[in-house]
Amino acid sequence: MGVIAAVTQSDSRRLLSAPAVLHNLLWLYNGLAVLLVAGFFFVTQAKIIDSMSAYSFLTMLPLMPWPAGQGLLAAALSYLALFLLGHLYHRAEVPELRYLALTGEIIACIVLLRCLGLAYDGVVLLVVADLMHRYDGRNRLLLLTCAMLGLYFLADYNLLLFQGSVAPFEAYASYYAGPVRGVLLAARGGLISLNLVLFALYLVLLIQDTHEEKERVRLLNEQLAAANRQLRAYALEAESLAETRERNRLAREIHDTLGHTLTGLAAGLDACLVLVEAAPEAARAQMQKLAQVARHGLTDVRRSVSALRPETLEKLPLREAVTSMAREFQETSGMRVQLAVLGWPEHLRDDQEETVYRIVQEALTNANRHGQASQATVTIGTEPGRMFLIIADNGRGCEKAEPGFGLRHMRERLELLHGRLRCWSEGGFTLEAIIPLGEEQMAGGKQNDKGNDS
Amino acid sequence: MGKKEKGLGCLLFGLLCLAPACWAWHVTHGEVTLRIGLFVGSNWDVPSGEAYAVIDAAIAKFEAEHQGVKVEYASGIKREDYGEWLAEQLLAGREPDVFVVQDEDFDAYAAMGALQDLTEFVEDDSQLDWQGYYPALADYGRYEGHIYGLPVECAPTLMFVNKTLLDREGIPMPQEDWTWDEFYDICARVTRDTDGDGALDQFGVYGYDWQLAALANGARLFREDGKASYFADPRMEAALRFLLSLRRLQKGTEVTGRDFDLGRVAFRPFTFAEYRTYKPYPWRIKKLSDSEWDCVRLPRGPQGRNVSPVGTLLLAMSGRTDHASLAWEFLREVSTDPEIQALVLTKSQGLPVRREVVQGAARAEAMEGEGETGIDMAAVSDIMEEAVSQPKFRDHGAAILMADNEIRRILQGTEAVGGTLHRLQKEINAYLQR
Repeated sequence: MGVIAAVTQSDSRRLLSAPAVLHNLLWLYNGLAVLLVAGFFFVTQAKIIDSMSAYSFLTMLPLMPWPAGQGLLAAALSYLALFLLGHLYHRAEVPELRYLALTGEIIACIVLLRCLGLAYDGVVLLVVADLMHRYDGRNRLLLLTCAMLGLYFLADYNLLLFQGSVAPFEAYASYYAGPVRGVLLAARGGLISLNLVLFALYLVLLIQDTHEEKERVRLLNEQLAAANRQLRAYALEAESLAETRERNRLAREIHDTLGHTLTGLAAGLDACLVLVEAAPEAARAQMQKLAQVARHGLTDVRRSVSALRPETLEKLPLREAVTSMAREFQETSGMRVQLAVLGWPEHLRDDQEETVYRIVQEALTNANRHGQASQATVTIGTEPGRMFLIIADNGRGCEKAEPGFGLRHMRERLELLHGRLRCWSEGGFTLEAIIPLGEEQMAGGKQNDKGNDS
Repeated sequence: MGKKEKGLGCLLFGLLCLAPACWAWHVTHGEVTLRIGLFVGSNWDVPSGEAYAVIDAAIAKFEAEHQGVKVEYASGIKREDYGEWLAEQLLAGREPDVFVVQDEDFDAYAAMGALQDLTEFVEDDSQLDWQGYYPALADYGRYEGHIYGLPVECAPTLMFVNKTLLDREGIPMPQEDWTWDEFYDICARVTRDTDGDGALDQFGVYGYDWQLAALANGARLFREDGKASYFADPRMEAALRFLLSLRRLQKGTEVTGRDFDLGRVAFRPFTFAEYRTYKPYPWRIKKLSDSEWDCVRLPRGPQGRNVSPVGTLLLAMSGRTDHASLAWEFLREVSTDPEIQALVLTKSQGLPVRREVVQGAARAEAMEGEGETGIDMAAVSDIMEEAVSQPKFRDHGAAILMADNEIRRILQGTEAVGGTLHRLQKEINAYLQR
């Protein structure tokens, strides 16, 4: 996130950066200069015609100048074309289009130079600046050197083949009287010099900006490396956390399954001890049941170890699994278990089902083991937005429900589902668990299954 | 590439396509007006009566042949204002489609691209018989090998002879191939005091200047491109020495135009136009003297031939014209149409540029006796075959003026011939190459 934000910021920065501003300023300045020079030609040409010195003026020229209006129009249009092509060159993403735009820009520049009779060559710098602004390639330095050399050749046009094919500025200036001519030549020189200054400033800023950009990228890279390190630490931490959680889960599973089975077995064996003398047949039957419970428990333990769901739950829907578990518990422990279903939510998730199953299992174990209860009632129902479980027994209860292993596990399981657990002693021990449900899980739970006791 | 770029690209492309289409529409639709630029009066420094007669006839004929085409010209521009007028039109981009170009501007305008290169028109036009021009005229419109102008009329310089005076002195008319020696002999014989007042009152020649003498002796004074001169040429020196010898015959008396008008001068070089102006309407010569006049070729120097200089009026096409083929047809008509060229002979003072027209006039003359021109046209046509054009680069006039100044001093005897010519050549070269 931080990296993306930085990049976006850099884009907006680029548009408002000092070189970009100066680049726009260069365009504006050159536009004004072109207008000024072309305007000068326009006005002078008109004045020459008015003052009837056209003949002597023409004798100074190596070629026919364009009519004043046409010259001005051509200069303005070619500058406009230059500007538009420059814009296109800047924005275009397709390389071919960009090269095309650049070629067009150079042609427009040459036409413009011709329109201005080479009196103002600042637009060449403009094209070079444009080239520099966009081009980031490896040969930037070479390109700049070549562009500058080309510029040098163009600048002193007296040396060039262009000479003889343009109406020199001096011919126009010579129309005016001495002092004015001096001012004109100086003004033209100033116009060119100021453009040079702006261009140089632009180059300096561009180089500076490139440097800053590099620095910024370096900084960003450092931040990225730090973030990566942090992420790795997070990953390690998460891993150990998962390990702890898994260990807790295993402990819980062992407690839930093995504890439950062993409690049942212990209670059943006690009963056998009593029965073995008085009614050996009943004891035998009881012991058969106990063996079944033990086998059941063993399977449960195996499943827990392989982190699978309780076997009953795996085989049967939750409702039957709970019923079967209650019946089995009653048979093994002798504690009477009553199941009251006031409502049953639809489509419970696996984790929710497992939690419901385990809470019932644990609560019954607790009632038998700690409360010495002879009877327990399991009530399951739904309310808008949640389901509840109430397991109440008639055992001893306890004044202060110490958060033993069982209660703590129940609470942990519920917290994972954003549910909560309450328990209190009042003529026995009552435990209430609330599990929040989604909208779609609420329907079809209103039938009353009271008296489904076994 | 975003939508914006696409839009921008489309806009540029559209503009590129639209511009030529608009131009084509502009060119092909509407009535075409062909504009002509010319000055009023003669190109040959003679008064002219019917200033626009030839051009009006040409326009009428052209418009009749080309429906929907209108030809117009700005009238009343004097010859001395024409250079400035044309320059203003060129500078403002309003120059006519077809216009007269004066000699001294021709090379410069051709080089500047103000004139249309006509070479291809000439080569591709089957109706144009290039050989129909007199040789000197056909090449006069050339600049660096390309044709930029067609001749419309010309004026050769001929030697006019006062036959009455020669008859009185018992001297026969000079032959066509006469030489300086014969010329000098005649001048020496006629130069004398007729009324016995002690002062010379009859002379050999008036107006025979150093340029004619140089040409007659085969001296070429300027290089083709007008960047060098050859005044130190021995042929030029010989020409000046000949002029000096002629002057010495006059024993210090200056011959004036009035002497000529009074019939007291045997020879005078005249352009064809000058002769045409004075001869058929002899409001000066015939009034003042009853002399009979005839023309012969100019005498030749020891190293030259009997050639005449010829001046040519050139018509050119604008390099920026929208109606090039129409303009070409008009140019061709004025320059070559026999009817129009025949009008040059009757309505203006110049000579037609087409051989067939001049020879036709000569035939008519032979049938009807002395024709309208009062001049032997067959002889003129022969002279035209060997006529020589003067250089027409821009500085020519100024260089001639500089030379004229120096040479006058030589002829007046205040300067030596050889050294002065060398100095003059240096000065003029420096001027031409500045």
